[in-house]
Amino acid sequence: MNLVARRKLRLRLRDMAAFSAFIAVALSGTVPIWVIGLFGAGWLGSMLGWRPLAKRPIITVVLLLVTAVFLFGAAFRGLMDLVVSAVSFALLVTTQRMLSEPGAATDQQVLLASMLLMAGAAALSGEIWYAISLLFFGIFGCLALGLAVIEGPQERDQDLPVRPVLTQVMIGVGVALMGGLAFFILFPRLSWNMAARRTPPGVLGGTTGMSDRVRLGGGGTLKTNARVVLRARLEPDPKDDQLDRYWVGRYFDAFDGREWKGSGQEQPPRARVQVRRLSGRYLMQRIELLPGYESRTLVGLDSPVIFEAATVIGTSGASGVQLIEVSDEEVHFAAAGNAYTYSVSSKPPTGGEVDAVDEKYLALPAAIDPRIAELAKQIVGNETGALAVGRRLETYLRTNYAYTLDLPGELDDPLADFLFVRKAGHCEHFATALAVLLRTQGVASRVTAGFFGGERVSDRYVVRAGDAHAWVQVFVPGTGWVSLDATPDGGRRNNSSVLLATLTTWYERVEQLWQSRVIDYSIQDQVQIVRALVRPPEEATQSSFSLGKVPKKALLASALTAFAVLLALRFLMRPVRKGPHPLASFLDEIELRLDRARVVRERGEGLEELAARLERTAHPLAKPLGLAARHYLEARFNSRPLTKQERTKLLAALATGQVEQGQARRA
Amino acid sequence: MTFWQRLRRLFRPPRQLKITKLGRTYLVLTIGIGLGALNTGNNLLYLVLGFMLSIIVLSGVLSERAIWDIHIRRVLPEGAFANEIFPLRYEVTRKKGRAFALKLREADGSLDAWAWVPLISEGEPLTVRADATAHRRGPHRLTKIELSTAFPLGIFEKSRLIELSDLLLVYPKRGFACLPTEPDAGRQAGDGGNPRLRDGNGDILGLRDLGDFEDSRRIHWKKSAAVGRLVKVEREREDRKQFTLKVDPGLKTEALERACEETAAASIRLLSDGHEVGLQTGARRIRPGAGPGHERRLLTALAWVGFSEEPPP
Repeated sequence: MNLVARRKLRLRLRDMAAFSAFIAVALSGTVPIWVIGLFGAGWLGSMLGWRPLAKRPIITVVLLLVTAVFLFGAAFRGLMDLVVSAVSFALLVTTQRMLSEPGAATDQQVLLASMLLMAGAAALSGEIWYAISLLFFGIFGCLALGLAVIEGPQERDQDLPVRPVLTQVMIGVGVALMGGLAFFILFPRLSWNMAARRTPPGVLGGTTGMSDRVRLGGGGTLKTNARVVLRARLEPDPKDDQLDRYWVGRYFDAFDGREWKGSGQEQPPRARVQVRRLSGRYLMQRIELLPGYESRTLVGLDSPVIFEAATVIGTSGASGVQLIEVSDEEVHFAAAGNAYTYSVSSKPPTGGEVDAVDEKYLALPAAIDPRIAELAKQIVGNETGALAVGRRLETYLRTNYAYTLDLPGELDDPLADFLFVRKAGHCEHFATALAVLLRTQGVASRVTAGFFGGERVSDRYVVRAGDAHAWVQVFVPGTGWVSLDATPDGGRRNNSSVLLATLTTWYERVEQLWQSRVIDYSIQDQVQIVRALVRPPEEATQSSFSLGKVPKKALLASALTAFAVLLALRFLMRPVRKGPHPLASFLDEIELRLDRARVVRERGEGLEELAARLERTAHPLAKPLGLAARHYLEARFNSRPLTKQERTKLLAALATGQVEQGQARRA
Repeated sequence: MTFWQRLRRLFRPPRQLKITKLGRTYLVLTIGIGLGALNTGNNLLYLVLGFMLSIIVLSGVLSERAIWDIHIRRVLPEGAFANEIFPLRYEVTRKKGRAFALKLREADGSLDAWAWVPLISEGEPLTVRADATAHRRGPHRLTKIELSTAFPLGIFEKSRLIELSDLLLVYPKRGFACLPTEPDAGRQAGDGGNPRLRDGNGDILGLRDLGDFEDSRRIHWKKSAAVGRLVKVEREREDRKQFTLKVDPGLKTEALERACEETAAASIRLLSDGHEVGLQTGARRIRPGAGPGHERRLLTALAWVGFSEEPPP
């Protein structure tokens, strides 16, 4: 790859690293939208190779200083969180550097600023997306740095294969991630994770539609929303995969023909709210309301009695929050936040609690269609008793009316339209119809808004935005409020697509794992890991293993096997020693004969040269030595084997030459 | 090697680690994030910290892998002049695996030379060139090469010293030969003493009979055989003179350097003009001669002036 292509690739990788850090920050949902917009535009420009700030360093630095004064000024005046302002400024610095003249120093500055962004995002976000952003940031950043390193002190326009470099850096990043996890697990925790903002507001906003009124009309798009808005841990755990229960949020008692409202009185804030007396066994719930919930109303499994231990998670972390009871309507948090946690104790009414209720639960709209009362009378017939009347009306609506989310247009009398024209509607229509029909028969009723269902994920239950539901509670004298639901079975739970629901369930599983294994990882977990490492498992200790119980033959066999394995390993791993070359002995023989003949080889003189020298001096050994040398060299280097006979013959010739030399010397 | 040198060598760390500018900022960031993690207990900061620490360890491992198993051979230049850039080449070999971003540098300090190896593959010798500069003339004993790398991320630069001995002879700086040089009174070699000397080395000018005491190497044998008597070749350039330049080895430091530089410059000029140049440096004497080989002989002798070691034969 040539220099231009390498530079382009490096810049792309650098920008992708910056973008990964940006995503981590942006998904926290805390950074001002104008900062996000500026970064997005800058990043796009940089990816397209647009560098407008390359020749305007002074102006951009001045602009950055002004922005810094603005952002940090806002932080010190309490208008903005300090971490958010710091992260916003880091985003702007990254943008400025990306749009400046590229170079080794600029690239490093972009990556270091992005690293600061990742650190800032760690303080702003606690979601699994952060881990994915960190992973991509690590990969892209390391690849960009690796490519910069092979350029050296001076860029040279030469072709270089970058694939081996990128491969090795990628392997390195993989190892580094493993090492990072090891550091994460082993690094001693000296304090609890108090600063984590585990539930940032995110970028999607709230989606439950939990409001202070229920208005008839319009479709029910919410039912298709698969987003998880509530997590709950139940004690005792019912261990059902699907929870067929109602989560109560708010009660409505006043209906004006079009919408339901509550008419409760707000009580002073308290840390603990008990709405009625609690005795006997109850169901305890620890609930997390996620950012998608976007309401301050607390919910609890039917029927919630005590709300307590509430915390609100805001932009600056978690803190305790007081609760406000609006009598006979709802309990809500005194302060707004991104997310909430609290405990609820629920217990269905057991009787003998209340004998009478307010008249408001019997009030009907001023202009009610007279056909409604006639219909109710017709359905109820001679039935008496609040619960029996309620059951009959509930059954009638369930069997004779259809569930639909396709309800376009505004109507003057949506209830009459539902009951007599369309004969189809969603949960609010069914609940309204049942409550009004009950009231026409003198039975106290109210509409309840909340959720229906719950899906088990790991050891908790999750509730989706599409599980939002409305139903009716009928007052039964001597028993209290009893829930009735006229909505057909298919319309209670969320109607989101199977694929989306599966994906969100899987995401929820990973998110729960992330929360428990990473976000909430603490010194206690470390102690448990160490204990597991240094102590044998409990089962082993309970079995009271002792060496004396093992048969001696087995011990002996084990020892022998271990010894045999050791020997085999030593044999397999022995160093391979190369013996002398088979022709070495032939060379030794030749040299021995030369020594006997007192022929001295000069330093570095080969056999061929020696033979040539002897030839020049008409030495008797010249010819036999030349022959022997030729055969030796051919056998040694040209793969021409030397037979035993040849060897003997050649050595014999040398011996003859030696004799001749002796005779010549004597002569 | 003295005792102290041996001791120093014994305690010398096998690798040297230098933190780059990027590395300094990276370390400051790591410490900052570490303090933030300890202070807040934020596990995501611990995660980032873990990753950053791991990157530091990884840098150490991969850089070690890069500079390990590297074999280097110097390829010395034909001629090198002081204060002039000359090519110094290194043949780098790696037996196993690949290595990246290697920097080779002469560690003795007498030479300014570094070469860059962006990538080297297994078993393929690679020759890289360093633009080297020597600041003084004479023999330079090159004993060590520093092999360093900033791979993989440029945070640290790890280096190791490779013992590799070579002798590089640096010729005197090429200066200006402004002073006139007196030619020798008589020829000292061949038929230089003959007043009828016409043995230039240019094109053939003509032929004439060989005179008494004239150099028999000038005989044109074919023509002589054809005409039946000895005939000599005369060539165009007839103005070749002989010079014997002298350098007093008793001179000290700066004066000696200047003398060597001037002599070198003069010899190069005279040789390029076609003259024969000889040299006398104290006891050592080089007979006048010409040609590139002779020039190298002269420069070599001048490079050795003032140094106790004996020049190679």
